[in-house]
Amino acid sequence: MTNTSTLIAARPADRGPPAWTRWLDLGDRALAVVLLAPAAILLALIIVYPVLRLGYTSFFSLSLTSGLPGEFVGLENYSLMLEDPVFWETTWNTVLITLITVPGALLAGLALALLANLPFGVQWPVRLSLLIPWALPLSFAGLIFAWFFHSEYGVVNDVLNRMGFEGIIWFNSPNWAFAAICLTIIWKTSSFMALIILAGLQTIPRSLYEAADVDGAGRIRQFFEITLPLLKPSIVVALIFRTITALQTFDIPYMMTGGGPGTSTATLAMYIHQNTVSFLDLGYGSALAVVMFALSMCVTAVYLRAIRTKE
Amino acid sequence: MASVSLRKLEKSYGALSIVKGIDLEIGDGEFVVFVGPSGCGKSTTLRMVAGLESISGGEIRIGETLVNRLPPRERDIAMVFQDYALYPHKTVRENMGFSLKVRGIPARDSEARINEAAEMLGIGHLLERRPGQLSGGQRQRVAMGRAIVRRPKVFLFDEPLSNLDAKLRGQVRTEIKRLHQQIGTTIIYVTHDQVEAMTLADRIVILKGGDIEQVGTPDEVYNRPQSVFVGGFVGSPAMNFAKAKVEAGCLVFSNGNRLALSAVRPGRDQGLNGCEVVVGIRPEHFGPVVDPAVALSARVQVVEPLGSDTLVHFDVGGDMLTARMPPEARPEAGSEFRIGVDPTKIHLFDAASERVIN
Repeated sequence: MTNTSTLIAARPADRGPPAWTRWLDLGDRALAVVLLAPAAILLALIIVYPVLRLGYTSFFSLSLTSGLPGEFVGLENYSLMLEDPVFWETTWNTVLITLITVPGALLAGLALALLANLPFGVQWPVRLSLLIPWALPLSFAGLIFAWFFHSEYGVVNDVLNRMGFEGIIWFNSPNWAFAAICLTIIWKTSSFMALIILAGLQTIPRSLYEAADVDGAGRIRQFFEITLPLLKPSIVVALIFRTITALQTFDIPYMMTGGGPGTSTATLAMYIHQNTVSFLDLGYGSALAVVMFALSMCVTAVYLRAIRTKE
Repeated sequence: MASVSLRKLEKSYGALSIVKGIDLEIGDGEFVVFVGPSGCGKSTTLRMVAGLESISGGEIRIGETLVNRLPPRERDIAMVFQDYALYPHKTVRENMGFSLKVRGIPARDSEARINEAAEMLGIGHLLERRPGQLSGGQRQRVAMGRAIVRRPKVFLFDEPLSNLDAKLRGQVRTEIKRLHQQIGTTIIYVTHDQVEAMTLADRIVILKGGDIEQVGTPDEVYNRPQSVFVGGFVGSPAMNFAKAKVEAGCLVFSNGNRLALSAVRPGRDQGLNGCEVVVGIRPEHFGPVVDPAVALSARVQVVEPLGSDTLVHFDVGGDMLTARMPPEARPEAGSEFRIGVDPTKIHLFDAASERVIN
């Protein structure tokens, strides 16, 4: 009996927690900092540092082909950019692709989502056909559609011929090439829009539609008075993601036209790639990338503000 | 305002029959409550009246109009949903005015109706808020307001109080009753709560397994239940049931307790000899022994003082029964005692069919 109590009394646990755990006795604020630090450090390393480094490089004339060390040139890369017609053309192409494919994908995605939300007996074929374009790598989609629009072997011209129209040499004309690219991007991205909107649709309780039925609203009225307003948050989220990726459009035009004919279908991202990877002109390429980054940030800011006022 | 008539109304999903041929006439201005356990078909029936559920057979008339194939908006009904189904992005005013806007009622009229309904329900100060900013009870009132402004022929309530806490439920229940007295429109009300049914209804329809078990005023279903199910469903605490056999003019319980049948059914005990019966006694119909021929020997198991009265659970030969006693009664658990029964309040049901024996 005495032995047991001596043993218990001797246990270190009875004198409080071991010393090495003391550092856990932090205030709430300090604990929060400690817990957030790993994520913050990771983000700083893989996002903040590269972005800052990009801005820094954009003030240098740094071309790997010249073999010379980088020379500080201030804003010269930016003033070069303003006089560079290809910069303006590719930027305009990027903006145009965004202005066409984002609303296009939104409308197509909305339609697909409404279709997928219908009470079909068998849901999986619809859901699967929604997932496949989304899961497909961008460059594959570009390759597939390059074949679809091929002037001799493509299915599009084949269908046109069968319908009695003359085939189009898609990739020889700037306008047709641009149209083909936009169609491909809309096809590829509308399923992503549809998935987000479908998730939004499924959060709308059925009883709201029943209440609207009883209130006397028809299907079209229900869509505009209930579905659309309640989908707004999902649509805004989908638009943010889609617009930012649209501004960064690269793979599909790269695979379909390589930017041609000329630079008529080249995007800003392709021009950055060309300058940095092909021409190894890191200074100018960085300056271009800074512009694209700024463009993306502006779009994000606009949408974030839109969401905040909604809430 | 209008009457509602259901004839041979059926609903089935494939082979699964949910509502099995209901016949019911609901009078103009009547407050009818459908009550029953989950899955009895009460909500389905209501939704068929609303037009939210298709009909597998039979017919529904609202007033003189056969509405079987009419969409909800052409039936001139208003409905209060269990989850209220308020439009979350619209203000209370817009929620209440939506049906009027859809129907092209001029803004001035619609405004007047909204204000009148809001006044009636005491939600005038909430008109510019959105449902997300309201409490459960307030949302409930808005849902009722949305129904009232329509001035429909029939109000349908689908378990409207089940999302409220007990205290609020009592309050809103009273308001619904007052509302009915004020506007007098026909109401069909679905609930699984027999207290709601008893307090609100002009007539109660008790459903079980897709069939009507009994239709009657609260007084009728309480005092003259037509089956063991109705007896057990209506009243709290529930009616006590014990198996017994009729022998030589007595109800004989399994532990040998005997009740004289001549007291229970004066002049009507012929032909029951040898029958197996279920004896139903409400807790409030036990009392002190007046006539030794209608008393039971029992052993006290549990005593629950409620303040207003005391519930005594006792054992009669394996059957657990409950008696509602005066508050000062405090029998000791485990003690043996004799308890009297009001013989005129004893219900006899056939043991096989579980229907009442008249």
